Amino acid sequence: MNKKMMAILFASGNESKLNELTLHRTTASLPFAGRYRLIDFALSNFVNSGVTRIGIITRNNYSSLMDHIRMGRDWDLNRKNSGIAVFPPFGLNTSRDVYKGKIEALYTVLDFLEKAPEDYVCVSNSNIASNIELDAILEEHIARGADLTMLCHKANVTSSKRVIITKNEQDVVTDICQVEIPSTEEKLVSLNIYIVRKDLLVSWVEQAYARGYVDFEKDILFREVENGKIYAKEITTYAAIVDDVKTYYNQSMKVLNDDVRTELFETGRKVYTKVKDSVPTIYGNKASVSNSLIADGCVINGTVENSILFRDVRIEEGAVVKNSIIMEHGVVMKGGQIGYTITDKSVVIGANRQISGSEDYPIVIVKNKKV
Amino acid sequence: MQVKKECVAMLLAGGQGTRLGALTRKVAKPAVPFGGKYRIIDFTLSNTINSDIDTIGVLTQYQPFDLNQYIGNGQPWDLDRLEGGAFVLPPYQKAKSGEWYKGTANAIYQNIDFVDRYSADYVLILSGDHIYKMDYNKMLQYHIAKGADCTIAVQNVPIEEASRFGIMNTDSDDKIFEFEEKPKHPKSTKASMGIYIFTWAKLKKYLIEDELNKASHNDFGKNIIPNMLNAGEQMYTYDFKGYWKDVGTISSLWEANMDILDNDSGINLSDSDWKIYARNTAEPPHFVGSGAKISNAVVSEGCVVQGEVVNSIISRGATIEKGAIINDSIVMPNAVVKAGATVNHSIIGWNAIIESDAKVGSYQEKAIAGEWQIAVVGPNVTVASGEVVKAGAMLEEDN
Repeated sequence: MNKKMMAILFASGNESKLNELTLHRTTASLPFAGRYRLIDFALSNFVNSGVTRIGIITRNNYSSLMDHIRMGRDWDLNRKNSGIAVFPPFGLNTSRDVYKGKIEALYTVLDFLEKAPEDYVCVSNSNIASNIELDAILEEHIARGADLTMLCHKANVTSSKRVIITKNEQDVVTDICQVEIPSTEEKLVSLNIYIVRKDLLVSWVEQAYARGYVDFEKDILFREVENGKIYAKEITTYAAIVDDVKTYYNQSMKVLNDDVRTELFETGRKVYTKVKDSVPTIYGNKASVSNSLIADGCVINGTVENSILFRDVRIEEGAVVKNSIIMEHGVVMKGGQIGYTITDKSVVIGANRQISGSEDYPIVIVKNKKV
Repeated sequence: MQVKKECVAMLLAGGQGTRLGALTRKVAKPAVPFGGKYRIIDFTLSNTINSDIDTIGVLTQYQPFDLNQYIGNGQPWDLDRLEGGAFVLPPYQKAKSGEWYKGTANAIYQNIDFVDRYSADYVLILSGDHIYKMDYNKMLQYHIAKGADCTIAVQNVPIEEASRFGIMNTDSDDKIFEFEEKPKHPKSTKASMGIYIFTWAKLKKYLIEDELNKASHNDFGKNIIPNMLNAGEQMYTYDFKGYWKDVGTISSLWEANMDILDNDSGINLSDSDWKIYARNTAEPPHFVGSGAKISNAVVSEGCVVQGEVVNSIISRGATIEKGAIINDSIVMPNAVVKAGATVNHSIIGWNAIIESDAKVGSYQEKAIAGEWQIAVVGPNVTVASGEVVKAGAMLEEDN
């Protein structure tokens, strides 16, 4: 156990790019891999690394998140000392809106940071699905005498705004840039998970806030690079950054790969989530399922291929589900057929209806919709 | 002073369950896995909380570690309470004496102080080896309305099977006038389910008297109930009509698991108004591989199924490799069935490994209820590659 590090988790970000999927929720509470929400991976990494003081900064639509986390018991975070602190949107008296960027958001929780006894902070986005040994990375961070360690992985920048890192052989970050334009070239991409000395973070944020800076990466990290104490730590196992519908679909489908599941779930460091007491899944006589990830509580009597079914999904006789993601309480009725489709919670596909997207543009059906 | 509880439940979980053989060598019967993700005791614990009874003593004695750890503070069943909740009650040393629980009645006798602490008016006596969903609160209201001293839950069983049970003979008002344990010539079909509600003051009196009788077995069925009946106490039967099964034998444990696959059995675990809770082990969803075939089966979290599964229960964390065939069987948590192995009419214990091309059990067309020849591979046992385990055989761990 380490009592050295605490954590700040940003629950929001990129909601606009996830369109229908984040109409009713934060990115943090986006369902992922059959029974999880994205934030489960961050919370589990913290708990498995002995980080138990966690502040979650929310901005909008955070009721689904509050409902998911409750008192944090499912992650063993209902502690007498430390545990989870959720910070609802906090408008400073001096500004009319809720915070604009990470700097302002961190400024609103300076008190929480300063009062805590831990010397280090993990500042993280909550849209990353990965199983990361943060305690080992912290030890490395301390041994190197780093100011800040940026976690990153090699990836194709196929979509959205990503922070690209350049480092030297000693893993010292030599340049940071933000890329808006997708390219097929493999780059070292920041996972937006940072480990940083707390006193340093506090002084950076105070100074940046005083100067009216907004962007943590551009206005703080980029300026600090020249001091040579920003390090990069490459994560070589599966790590997914989910920030638009396409990456959500592609990264979800990767979990059907045996190696990816091993890296996510078979590390001896469990991924925890809210317990819902669903019954085990029941397969009927007409079920035909292959290459699929199936959560508890499903009743399957149709065909399911290359798909992910969340908890309590019902696939009726003669229904065909291919290359699709069906979230909790979804139903595909008799003879219904869907392909390359993401159905949000409690979507019902009527009997004999056919819906098909394509691999590049999966169709998203919004929560509670009856098709 | 403790907050008063109208009714306290006492769950008898101390029995060895010898008839389950290898499965209960190291754990108590109530801790045996059931239905893919449950343990047998989950049904009584869930019934208790679903019946708005929030104080329950679990009396353990035989191999208690696993059960103690499983129950913990009772949180999975919402039984972690400021006042009341779940308590594991093992036998303990008292000022003048200290002894094991001698019988079911003695177990309650030794915990009179526990019930008194909550100033309970009524005590619900349960056993931890039955699979059923029952609203105890309805039975309690019945007990109160009848002004009964003791109410015994009964099920109507076919007359030809009645001689296997404790049979209650009642008048037209359900008042018990006679109790017969496994009668050769049953006069009624009301079989005791081993679920009793007593008015506590009355039971306490009989427990104390029974304890003084050195010849007594200190057993509810053999002593307390007959004694109360002889003394003319107000004793009634309470008819329970839903699914109920005693899973005390390998054959009945197998049958009860198979009932989950039968929509007409009445067990229905998916009832959202009467959830069965279990301690969660945080496993990922199960994965079904490309060559898998699953039909009429239950598959739980954390499983990887690459082979063929028909009419079977695959419990959490189990692995069924490519080319393995599972028919009419129960594969318990974290067991592994390797490539090419066949399993028919069997129970594969938790953490057991069936090596490739082994053959466990054999297919049976039909059997009389309770008389299936189920092969049992005990927990942690490895069946070697190519080995044959006959129908009805039982393999155990060495020590």
